[in-house]
Amino acid sequence: MKDDEIDEVLQRASGIPHEVEPALLKRVANSIHPSLRPVRPLPPTRVLTAGLILICAAVALVGAARTGFYGIEKLSLWERVLIFSTLSILAWMAGKELVAEFIPGSRHRFSPHALLTFASVALLGVFALLFRNYRSDHFISAGIACLLSGLLVAIPAAFLSWLLLRRGFAVNPVSAGLVGGALAGISGLTMLELQCVNFQALHVLVWHTAVVPVSAAAGALVGWALRRRS
Amino acid sequence: MARYQAGDFAAATALIECVGPQLHRFFLAQFVSRADADDLLQETWLRIHRVRHTYRPGEPVLPWFYAIARRVRVDHYRKASRTTAREHSLAEMSQVAAREDGQAADDLETLLAPLSESQREVIRMMKVAGMSLEEVARATSCSVGAVKQRVHRAYESLRARASAPGPKKGPGGGQS
Repeated sequence: MKDDEIDEVLQRASGIPHEVEPALLKRVANSIHPSLRPVRPLPPTRVLTAGLILICAAVALVGAARTGFYGIEKLSLWERVLIFSTLSILAWMAGKELVAEFIPGSRHRFSPHALLTFASVALLGVFALLFRNYRSDHFISAGIACLLSGLLVAIPAAFLSWLLLRRGFAVNPVSAGLVGGALAGISGLTMLELQCVNFQALHVLVWHTAVVPVSAAAGALVGWALRRRS
Repeated sequence: MARYQAGDFAAATALIECVGPQLHRFFLAQFVSRADADDLLQETWLRIHRVRHTYRPGEPVLPWFYAIARRVRVDHYRKASRTTAREHSLAEMSQVAAREDGQAADDLETLLAPLSESQREVIRMMKVAGMSLEEVARATSCSVGAVKQRVHRAYESLRARASAPGPKKGPGGGQS
């Protein structure tokens, strides 16, 4: 069979008008009539994305302010520029994608998994480029403390992001949870880069970077649980 | 759609009459009975009505409707799989769908039967509902590249099946 023949069958099928009982359509119209009131459409994507980035930045700053901005003070100018510009770009990408997840029929530039993979690889690349001290003192204890601090900051970031987008409708709660978790994780990681003074390469590569995928996994789990409840 | 958001009942009715049959056909094509398709259509409109503020004027409207319809369909499958242990084979359900539509629809279902669900979905949206690649990508929450790939693989699979020796399915002929 050639493409033309396949197209012909498909076109023939699309040509037939599909009949639906008028009574059914009338029933549908009548069911929505009592609650038909004017509604305010959601703000544009760029406004919501900017709101999400502001939330994440504010939460990271407040989180770091509690213990002090010792990390950023010890970083060189080049390190600051590279780390925080990477985090900003990733936050913008995740924010835009999260808004798309909450608006049905939106354009998606990446799949949630591709976004998470890209973010993790980009962060690993930047950290591997900047930190060359491969000693690992208190690898597990210091690492778990940083991972937990990052995740603790991610929780309010995720909650406030949800508040901003609560009028939206996630057609796929698991994907929305994953992207939301990744964005919140970026907020947690930003806090760590502001306050953590442990610049050992393995510590940063493993425990700091892990905040993003772990937070994304937690978000996806929440989305899955919500979908099961609905 | 903007008038519907503004609370105009006539606009809402016109939308239901215009888009309702397309959505009904979308559900019927997923191997559900006509009664189920009727229920899904009602459920979809209730959902559409609840989240009508998420549509933004100026954006393509069909992907918005289809994205919500897909969610309703997924929820339906999930609930059905939880509440009933009975499973129909694809072939049995295909016969149900084919019986309820005309000859051309029979051809269509026979033709698309060997494809995966995601491939069938994009082919139906593009070729039957007349949506563009960009609109299908928006409705299915995929990138345009992913939709192109699915269409390409679907056509490849149909061509391979048609040229394979032995019993095969062709348009209008069913098993030949």
